[in-house]
Amino acid sequence: MLYLLRRVVVLLTTLLLVSFLVFMLPYLTPGDPARKILRARTGDLDLDPETVERLRIEYGLDLPIMQQYWNWLKDALGGDIGISYTSGRPVAGMLGSALANTATLAISALLFALVVALILGTIAAVKRGKPADSVITTITQGFVAIPEYWMGPLLVLVFALNMGVLPSAGWKGPLWMILPCLTLALRPMSYFTQVTRASMVDVLESPHITAARSRGLSFGETMLKHGVRNALLPVVTLFSVWLAGLLGGSVVVEVIFAIPGMGRMLYQAITNGDVPIIQASVVCVVGLTVIITTATDALYRLINPTVRTSHGTR
Amino acid sequence: MPDQLEIDNLTVSFGAEGAPPVLDGVSLGVAKGEVLAIVGESGSGKSMTAMSVMKLLPRGARMKAGGIRFDGVDILGADERTMNRIRGDRVSMLFQQPKRMLDPTATVGRQVAEPLRRYAGLSRHKAADRVIELLSDVGIAEPERRAKAYAHQLSGGIAQRVMIAMALAGEPELLIADEPTTALDVTVEVQVLRLIATKRAELGMSVLFISHDLGVVSSLADRIAVMYAGRIVEVGTTDQILRQPQHPYTRSLIKCATLARELDGSLFVIPGDVSSARSITKGCRFMPRCPVVEEAHLHDSCDAEEPPLSGCANGQVSRCWATIETRRSA
Repeated sequence: MLYLLRRVVVLLTTLLLVSFLVFMLPYLTPGDPARKILRARTGDLDLDPETVERLRIEYGLDLPIMQQYWNWLKDALGGDIGISYTSGRPVAGMLGSALANTATLAISALLFALVVALILGTIAAVKRGKPADSVITTITQGFVAIPEYWMGPLLVLVFALNMGVLPSAGWKGPLWMILPCLTLALRPMSYFTQVTRASMVDVLESPHITAARSRGLSFGETMLKHGVRNALLPVVTLFSVWLAGLLGGSVVVEVIFAIPGMGRMLYQAITNGDVPIIQASVVCVVGLTVIITTATDALYRLINPTVRTSHGTR
Repeated sequence: MPDQLEIDNLTVSFGAEGAPPVLDGVSLGVAKGEVLAIVGESGSGKSMTAMSVMKLLPRGARMKAGGIRFDGVDILGADERTMNRIRGDRVSMLFQQPKRMLDPTATVGRQVAEPLRRYAGLSRHKAADRVIELLSDVGIAEPERRAKAYAHQLSGGIAQRVMIAMALAGEPELLIADEPTTALDVTVEVQVLRLIATKRAELGMSVLFISHDLGVVSSLADRIAVMYAGRIVEVGTTDQILRQPQHPYTRSLIKCATLARELDGSLFVIPGDVSSARSITKGCRFMPRCPVVEEAHLHDSCDAEEPPLSGCANGQVSRCWATIETRRSA
């Protein structure tokens, strides 16, 4: 309980700190924010000083900086995280749908990667040194080196253009998810496989496996009851790192497959100088990362009792 | 009557073909209800002998033998199913580092229950009750609490008691104990040894007890086999081995166990080490460390040929030219 409370305090502190830094971001770059906003909207380089002044007052940009931050924070806590400079729509709605798309993509890609990796990694570990292991190890090592901007178009070429069985771009349903998921899953899958193999080899050679066999458990039963759970720990850690990373959006995949997700939105916001979107997105991603790390930690304690007692809850 | 466990000419090797084997032509028998101890330094092949009987040798081990038979069952030719069955409730094993032998992510109770559920066919509920009985039976206080504990919450002594409870759950006919007290405190060691002795008497099981410590073995064993560099060098009853050791290596081990001192007051140690001895293919493997080879003037025969295991009338056998010579001249 105390542990949970401590984590929540850490979470809130981190968010507050990040929100301040993120808020300051546009002020740290050279140039007048009011002018930048107008330029983002009109693309006009020759601005009317009166319009600039009006906008400055409208957005409260003339107030002292701490006052501005306080106002922004107050609004954000009330659920209002501003209006996009470019589209004029509320950021909350835009962020919500972008995050939903990105999360769907990231979670399905990573779950797919995890399932495949657990199977391949276990096979490689059990057959270590044999041909099956060499094949799996070589292929996954190769996949690690394949970038998404190459894999994506290749998959599109094969499955969309040549075979015509899958849509090449867009985000309209499960069918549209397959290619971007595959593209995104390949590298994490390779990493997961390698980590699964390594930790599985460790487990296979650990004494408690021999002891379990000596009690008459078959090899398969031993692996299920005493192997997998032990081998899972490092994989869980890696999974959460990837999940946190991918929730920020994968720019490459989202651009290639025209997916309205976080990566593409953030990318466009940065090129357009759309500060409210940048601020909200970054705070949101950081918040999610901290939440995921906390959740992983909790999961870790569930899987590994050694961690549990080290906090004195014997 | 044939022995309950028979090991005939067992050879185990690792690595390249032609590499010196870790076990070289080991033959042993354990009679029903007997405690046979295997004694020797680390690396002499004691554990490999045990793991061969369980057929749980490490990866890459190659096993050759004239035969390993347990109660008439051919272990050497047995398939995995048969072996699982035998390991499940007929032959059990204890290990050197009990805490590392328990799954760190599973409770003690779950692990003790496994053979009960699988081989005694108990329901989950009945197995849980039996686990508590078994744990309290091996002298664990608060068995209910211990059953819910994980390996890292146990002391080495308690963990070994848990392992014993687990090993005895199926009332095995043979217990293989591979240095079960080596990692324990001396006081705990005595308790665990007593527990094993009591349980042996209760269940009437045979024990193959492996140790590097003659002192530990002497209180428990009916017979002792001494191993050196993958070979058996002497076998006899505990009395014979302790009172009339024939092989110079056995005598050295006894000197070590009794904390004998050299003339200058320093503790006696056997000079050299066992690691290179396995690769000796010609002559006696113990010769480089042997204290009698000089005085016995047997350099030539010791160097030329490995002595055979040869016995005297009382059944004690040993592998030493000096002993053979003495016997011949007597």
